[in-house]
Amino acid sequence: MGKYLLLGKLTFEEYFVYRLNFVLWRFRSLVFFLTLFFFWLAIYGNRSEFLGYQKAQMLAYVVGIAFLRSIVLGSRSADLAGQVRSGELTKLFLQPIKIIGFWFTRDIVDKFLNLLFTILEITVVLLIFKFPLWFPQKPESYLFFFILAILALFLYFFLSFSLSVVAFWTEEIWATRWLFGVIFLEFFAGAFFPIDVLPGWLTKIIYLTPFPYLVFFPLKIWLEQLSTVMILKAILICFGWLVFFYWLAHFLWQKGAKNYGAYGG
Amino acid sequence: MSVVEVKNLKKYYQVHKKEPGLAGSLKSLFVRKYEDVKAVNNISFNIEEGELVGFIGPNGAGKTTTLKCLSGLLYPTSGKISVLGFNPWERKAEFLKQIALVMGQKNQLWWDLPPMETFVLNKEIYEVPDEQFKKTLDGLVKLLEVEDILKIQVRKLSLGQRMKCELIAALLHSPKVLFLDEPTIGLDVVMQKKMRDFIKEYNRRYKATIILTSHYMGDVQELCQRVLIIDKGKLVFDGQLAEIVQKYADYKLISVILSKEVDPKILNGIGKVKEFNYPKLILTVKRNETSKLAAKVLEKLPVADLNIEEPPIEDIIRELFTGKKYG
Repeated sequence: MGKYLLLGKLTFEEYFVYRLNFVLWRFRSLVFFLTLFFFWLAIYGNRSEFLGYQKAQMLAYVVGIAFLRSIVLGSRSADLAGQVRSGELTKLFLQPIKIIGFWFTRDIVDKFLNLLFTILEITVVLLIFKFPLWFPQKPESYLFFFILAILALFLYFFLSFSLSVVAFWTEEIWATRWLFGVIFLEFFAGAFFPIDVLPGWLTKIIYLTPFPYLVFFPLKIWLEQLSTVMILKAILICFGWLVFFYWLAHFLWQKGAKNYGAYGG
Repeated sequence: MSVVEVKNLKKYYQVHKKEPGLAGSLKSLFVRKYEDVKAVNNISFNIEEGELVGFIGPNGAGKTTTLKCLSGLLYPTSGKISVLGFNPWERKAEFLKQIALVMGQKNQLWWDLPPMETFVLNKEIYEVPDEQFKKTLDGLVKLLEVEDILKIQVRKLSLGQRMKCELIAALLHSPKVLFLDEPTIGLDVVMQKKMRDFIKEYNRRYKATIILTSHYMGDVQELCQRVLIIDKGKLVFDGQLAEIVQKYADYKLISVILSKEVDPKILNGIGKVKEFNYPKLILTVKRNETSKLAAKVLEKLPVADLNIEEPPIEDIIRELFTGKKYG
């Protein structure tokens, strides 16, 4: 355990080496948040309800996106693909350390830092605009939200890890990452807008994919728009996907590592 | 049981060939020609505990690929490898804790942090006890004279400084088997000597088994009794360094210091001139004719000094690689 703690500490220190980089990254997140925030404010105008969402709910959804982006979607494990390509992975290969554990540790530190700054930034924004935060009424909503968010965190990690491992075969993964990152993830996960504003047949299909369980469903729980049965169903499906991607990540890793070229040197 | 056992090891890479330029790039989008590169092609050898073996060969011969297979980085196309009784590819923790691979051109140090941070992390990863860590680190730091760079960001270090820190990082867990790929690359002559002494001492003190590759024959000559020569993925020689001379050099050198200038023509009847730069003259002569021709030199030339020498190992190996006269 000690090695992973220390690894986390070093990852933390790395962020302070490139302070500007981190600040710019946060700036990008903030701009993204503000864009969505003002976009929905403009759409609502004087309306109090639109597409089945009250104004306060929609804005709570947007704030929720910012949080879940940092907890669930923030990811360092995407670097793995680059390391496969450059041969930098070699150093990990030679050490008695679990490579999945290595990347998970780095992801956690990344999420922690991003969460910290997200809270800070959004608090400031909400104070400026005098917007109240939305809190669920029923205590069990907190529990369900927490459970699904944690499952989503793991699901995203193994999903992202599986995708990075593809680099063992293709050695060029930016295309897949982009397709996955922007089209599927951001769109189908509900990281731009709630998915249920889309036509019913499309949402039904999307619900079968792993993506909406990353952002959309946790936020629906937070907004208390799901029945307990639906919540349990969502948790179950998310868990199913998690098991699948856990297996897939390990499977691809086993297969892919045989293709590793350990280039350079 | 030998520490390292390699049997019929093969490692083929599949590469696609791309013609240069944009047209080539476009073409490779649609049609790709794949080719097998036989980086290591059926080699076998054993290495016993405590041996210090030199691994030499021209660029691209397969030296590094072999080391990578031995340390579990690469999955062999076929063949059997056993290191300390483990199959390296399985990457068992007990195996990894007993080996180290140092690659001169690759860094395991954390690029953005000072080397000390990597050392402490390695201590945790390899589960080195505090006492041992302190002792080993102090010893290595003093020996390699890096006291004052331990707190400087790795990317700001020079190649030589980094190389030394790489070595420290690789040795903190006192590996029993050490694979060194170009360990003296980027070091000045003083440091090269130090590094060699260090490797020798490490081998002696810990009975560590060491395989090293190097482009500097000096490294190999000074350190290794036994050498493996590999070329185009095949093992072409496995034996004592001294045997190479016996086996492949059918000539000796007569090196003469002349006391007076002579007409170069006079040399024709004696032997092949390798170098003539008055007053120094070096002749290449057949091994079995050495004494006869030496007498002739003394008789015909104004000699101030004369030596009969074995050709430098470097020359022999170069001839071996270019002339390909493997027996």
